[in-house]
Amino acid sequence: LSDVEQLKRRLERERQARKAAEAIAEEKTREIYQTNIQLQQLNSRLEELVRQRTAELAAAHDEAVRASQAKSHFLANMSHELRTPLNAIIGIAEMLRDDAVDDDRPDLLEPLERIHRAGHHLLHLINEILDLSKIEAGKLELSLEEVEPASLLRDALVTAEPLAARNGNRLETRFAQDLGRIQTDPLRLRQIVLNLLSNACKFTEQGTVTLEAWREDMDEDRWLVVGVADTGIGMTPDQLDRLFQEFSQADASTTRKYGGTGLGLAISRKLARLMGGDITVESTLGQGSRFVIRIPARTASAMATMPVATADGPREPASAAAKNRVLVIDDEETVRDLMRRFLTREGFEVVTAADGEEGLRLARDLRPALITLDVLMPGLDGWAVLKELTGTPALADIPVVMLTILEEKNRGYALGASDYLTKPIDRDRLRALLGRYCEAAVAKQALVVEDDPDLRAWLCRLLREGGWTVAEAENGRVGLACLAASPTDLVLLDLMMPEIDGFEFLERLRSTEAGRHVPVIVVTAAEMSDRDRQRLNGGVLRILQKGGHDRDQLLAELHALLAAHGSRQAA
Amino acid sequence: MKGIVFTEFLEMIENKFSPEMADRIIEQADLRSGGIYTAVGTYDHSEMIELASRLSDETGIAPAEIMRSFGMYLFERFYTMFPIYFDRVSSSFDFLQRIEGYIHVEVRKLYPEAELPSFACATPHPGCLRLTYRSARPFAVLAEGLIRGCIAHYGEAVDIEVEDLSDGTGTAARFLLTKRDLPP
Repeated sequence: LSDVEQLKRRLERERQARKAAEAIAEEKTREIYQTNIQLQQLNSRLEELVRQRTAELAAAHDEAVRASQAKSHFLANMSHELRTPLNAIIGIAEMLRDDAVDDDRPDLLEPLERIHRAGHHLLHLINEILDLSKIEAGKLELSLEEVEPASLLRDALVTAEPLAARNGNRLETRFAQDLGRIQTDPLRLRQIVLNLLSNACKFTEQGTVTLEAWREDMDEDRWLVVGVADTGIGMTPDQLDRLFQEFSQADASTTRKYGGTGLGLAISRKLARLMGGDITVESTLGQGSRFVIRIPARTASAMATMPVATADGPREPASAAAKNRVLVIDDEETVRDLMRRFLTREGFEVVTAADGEEGLRLARDLRPALITLDVLMPGLDGWAVLKELTGTPALADIPVVMLTILEEKNRGYALGASDYLTKPIDRDRLRALLGRYCEAAVAKQALVVEDDPDLRAWLCRLLREGGWTVAEAENGRVGLACLAASPTDLVLLDLMMPEIDGFEFLERLRSTEAGRHVPVIVVTAAEMSDRDRQRLNGGVLRILQKGGHDRDQLLAELHALLAAHGSRQAA
Repeated sequence: MKGIVFTEFLEMIENKFSPEMADRIIEQADLRSGGIYTAVGTYDHSEMIELASRLSDETGIAPAEIMRSFGMYLFERFYTMFPIYFDRVSSSFDFLQRIEGYIHVEVRKLYPEAELPSFACATPHPGCLRLTYRSARPFAVLAEGLIRGCIAHYGEAVDIEVEDLSDGTGTAARFLLTKRDLPP
């Protein structure tokens, strides 16, 4: 019995233990369930949070992209806005400087030189900032060409000579025997070398700046290495660390003492890297610095697009009728004015258009020998005009020189532009281009008949600048004598003169065989009466009122009148 | 104290002595749980002392000796029930050094409320391990039994020196384990 009792007790204990275990299991299960619910809630809260954060990040990202686009847009606009007035400042300063030289006014020359230099300096700074933003936006294109590094480097050295002289530095070169030829963007390489040379000259006084160059060729691995070493102030390791950062010079006091934006080196390194190379530097404080540029002898064309049209050479001028007629298409009045002045002086006949539509119309009507074309214009922009021009068989042969603030050479060449100049216009380059594409006006003979010596001298100079050979006469009698001695293509005639006045001169001129068709332009200060006009009897091309024109306007008008006269005669 | 210690203790009595013995000491003892234990439950540690004391009364074996033997028994049971803790463990020192950092961590995952003793380890020199047991409860002897069980499990020759750190209450002790150089 006691065994049974004992077993019963034992069984009861086991049963109770089982129930307790089941209760614990149930409790644990409930706990786990609750925990799961909490986890799920936490999870969905987290997911919601992640969704929120992701949305916020996406918004922030979009915002950043928009901001960056706005920044690029702003920079592009600003560059246009800044360079447009700079065009005017630099261009007009050049004109005035020429005038000062002509008028022998050294007192004016110096301040004008200063305006010109300051304008160029400002332009340089704007270009640096734009370069940097373009590199950072991945929008800088390299224009690859085959060049001889030796001559490129010597050229840079010549440019750096005045900088070296300023601080009493000696420039030395150490070029290896055969630098051969390389394929690179010569302008950009020159920019880098000049930047390093100008830094070296700036931070060295009474020392030596050495430009070295050699090749490092190992099978497929071919490099051009250019070193710029100076004996200048040098840098501390700390300064070296910050050297290639934008807007950072060795320290703030450097900026005060030596000037500059601190962008040059950052740009140079970025450019070198863009070419597939790099710039390194070593320096000892107080002893000098040595910068080493290493660029591939053949910059991969993937990094750049080659200009396509340059190899074809200049195109033939369009038609014989307008061999010296240039059509300037630009929405900026200042640019049109400057171009008109400049081209007229160079002996070209200038027609201008303020927008693309007008430009196309004039191109069709006048068939100019050359078109200069701005890109950024309201309405039809330069690219569209270029496309239209190259797409029209009758116009496709007219060479087009892009004249713009945008640096998109490759796009220009790809669309069929003959050449590409960036504003502000380098007049020497423009002159060279004009020579390539147009026949410069053949010097023509003109006769100025005017009793006022100042006005006569002014008119003569004007015509000479316009490419004319000029004879002058102080009254009608002398004028007729001149005509008898040699024939002329144009007469500028005053009316009120002693001895033989303008009216009589004209009558006598028209009565001779040689003088019957000579174009005569009357330049007079007098108010013309109806009777006067009848006396002239349509015998003159045009009556110009003195004082109503400045000289360039006058010159342009003369060219236009003569061109019109010429084509009428040809017709 | 976790229920598994109680269920294993009673099973040991049933196996080493008899089921009757187990029943008897439960009946004689004054237990709040009524001697009803489940491995997953938690019970007052004084019930273990009570049970050991009753077993001592029945058998004449000193309670300390009972706890020491139980410790050795319990270690082997752990090996049977929880082989995962023995994975890649090749010696007693190895195992003992893992109690604090591994086994107790795993126990707490399942029983967050468990009040576990601390086992600080030190190796004063090679072949020597110093374990310091500290607990809110007086089970230094049970710990000693477990240590001995561990050494026996790995079949090693290790001398154990026990130093009481609790003025005889059994809540703290230092065990100095020294590997015996086996004769070549």
